[in-house]
Amino acid sequence: MKKVFALVLTLAMALSLAACGAASKPAASASGSAAASGSAAASGYKVAMVCDSSISDGGWGAACYNAMVDAAADLGWETAYSDSVAQSDYASSITSYCDLGYNMIFLPGNQYSDATVQVAKDYPDICFAVLNGAEDLPTDNITSILPNADEIGYMAGALAGLMTKTNVLGFIGGMEIDTTKAKLAGYEAAAKAVNPDITVLSAYAGSFDDTAKGMELANGMLSKNADVFFGDASAVDSGARQAIDTANGDGEIGIYDIGQPADLLGQNPCVICSVVTDNAGMLKLAMQDAQAGSFGNKTIYGSFENGCLSVGAFNDELVSADIQSAYMDFIDQMAAGTFPG
Amino acid sequence: MDIGELILSTVRMATPILLVALAELYSERAGLVNIGLDGIMSFGALAGFMVCFITGSPFLGILAGAMGGILINMIYAYCTISLCAEQIVYGMAINIFAPAVASFIYRIYFGVSSTLAQDTLMKSIAIPYLKDIPFLGKLLFDQTPMVYFAYLMVVFTAIFFNKTKKGLNYKAVGEYPKAAETLGINVIRQKYVACMICGALAGIGGAYLTTCYVNTYSDGVVAGRGFIALSAVIFGRWSSGGVLLACLLFGFCDALQLRLQIMNTSTPYQLFQMIPYVCTLVALAAFGIKKAGPKANGKPYMREER
Repeated sequence: MKKVFALVLTLAMALSLAACGAASKPAASASGSAAASGSAAASGYKVAMVCDSSISDGGWGAACYNAMVDAAADLGWETAYSDSVAQSDYASSITSYCDLGYNMIFLPGNQYSDATVQVAKDYPDICFAVLNGAEDLPTDNITSILPNADEIGYMAGALAGLMTKTNVLGFIGGMEIDTTKAKLAGYEAAAKAVNPDITVLSAYAGSFDDTAKGMELANGMLSKNADVFFGDASAVDSGARQAIDTANGDGEIGIYDIGQPADLLGQNPCVICSVVTDNAGMLKLAMQDAQAGSFGNKTIYGSFENGCLSVGAFNDELVSADIQSAYMDFIDQMAAGTFPG
Repeated sequence: MDIGELILSTVRMATPILLVALAELYSERAGLVNIGLDGIMSFGALAGFMVCFITGSPFLGILAGAMGGILINMIYAYCTISLCAEQIVYGMAINIFAPAVASFIYRIYFGVSSTLAQDTLMKSIAIPYLKDIPFLGKLLFDQTPMVYFAYLMVVFTAIFFNKTKKGLNYKAVGEYPKAAETLGINVIRQKYVACMICGALAGIGGAYLTTCYVNTYSDGVVAGRGFIALSAVIFGRWSSGGVLLACLLFGFCDALQLRLQIMNTSTPYQLFQMIPYVCTLVALAAFGIKKAGPKANGKPYMREER
């Protein structure tokens, strides 16, 4: 009896180990198959996403996953995903989707570039779409999708510059990657164009999922009088928002946060507005290219001008109509290329 | 820099590590090296978050975290104690298994959405009289009950291991189990008890993160704290006082580096992020030369073996 029990337990353990090791392989992953939903107008095309963060992180991972699902639903594609994939497994996860006959692999981040280039050589018929990919990345079957990080920074910075009373702004990044650096630079430039007296405090959590670090960083910035925050660090941002809400207390809200990449108004009381990135719209362009056979060798840009970036809903109680209209003037100038100068 | 804020932040950051380091101390004192702390914490964090989210009571959440931690650690206990399997391998297996299960359960329950589920956080309770001490009172005696619990556990553990018969018997199991057995101590039972204490404390450490610290759960919320706790036990030379100092030092360095980053935006942030780890390395090199751990640490105990 004891032996049987031991055997069962060992088997369960071995199975769980195997399942974890194979979490990146769609065939064995329960989550992968759960996501593969049948669509109303099936086009026969299939897209898969490989992602290093979790798709339920309430930030970047979730936004990218939802973008893929939305774009696929419009065009009648099937979807699948593998999330929380370790860097060492990028290439093997991508390869296994290729072997399963997926038409497009969606890679939400610049960090997958090397693995993509490595795999893409062997699968010339499969399309690879790299979100935030570099401009020199595209080949015959690789397309970069690039939201304009400078503009995202400008859009947040202009509003922060108008809203601040202490002239101190906060910015929390996850890792020092190119897009985050560009957003920070844009944020600072725009805020200073609105109000030259502004200083921007910035720090990196060194992680995209250590929520507690976000809280501590925000607390540190709060003690240096920062009163408008913007961030680029997924789950770390939600920790920062929690710290801001705590600092605001039950009274009047005097410290604000600007959300991204989805419209986060209402998630926390301190969110005054969001800079919304329509990843779905950009991904849809890439999918249409794949269907039309014109995929590859180009970068699809997402900007305010082509509607892929937009200003989210305002918190009307906290942002006065005057400030809203002044802000929209800045946005119009940005679209015209004259802001922040 | 605001010193008071820095101390407050140190206490906040050190508490979860301290709870989990104590868990490991109880485990290693019975001769069981458990490197699966990170996994147990993840599961505890999820169990705590879900129960707190559903019932609205952080205390029930902490309780659920403890139960979840015990549950996960029983897998480790059965395999390493009864089956005499390699402890490091099973600790690692727990680290892979438990966070995956936690993330699986979270996704089944909450689904995938870009809105975050948020639970109620435990309120801090000020201790009368002590909180009126100038400066320190507000910092040290106006915390959540879990912080007091962690520090009381340090005192309790020190007394238990050094001043009580039960504690000495407990330590004997980790030092020389065969001798302990000949003196009538049930080694196997003691080791299982150790695993339950370890699971409960590590689960509480995880649940602390999601019910007292941040009000959301996300995969990776533990962020390697289990491994830091593991090194804190070695650094603290297997005594609860030492573990407390190690955790406070790490918490302080981490709190300090975050503040230095904010003050010097021009210096590469990676330099500051190194500080806690460099401190740990230096301290380990300076204090960890002589091995001070339990003699039978990490060795499986086979009753029939000669």
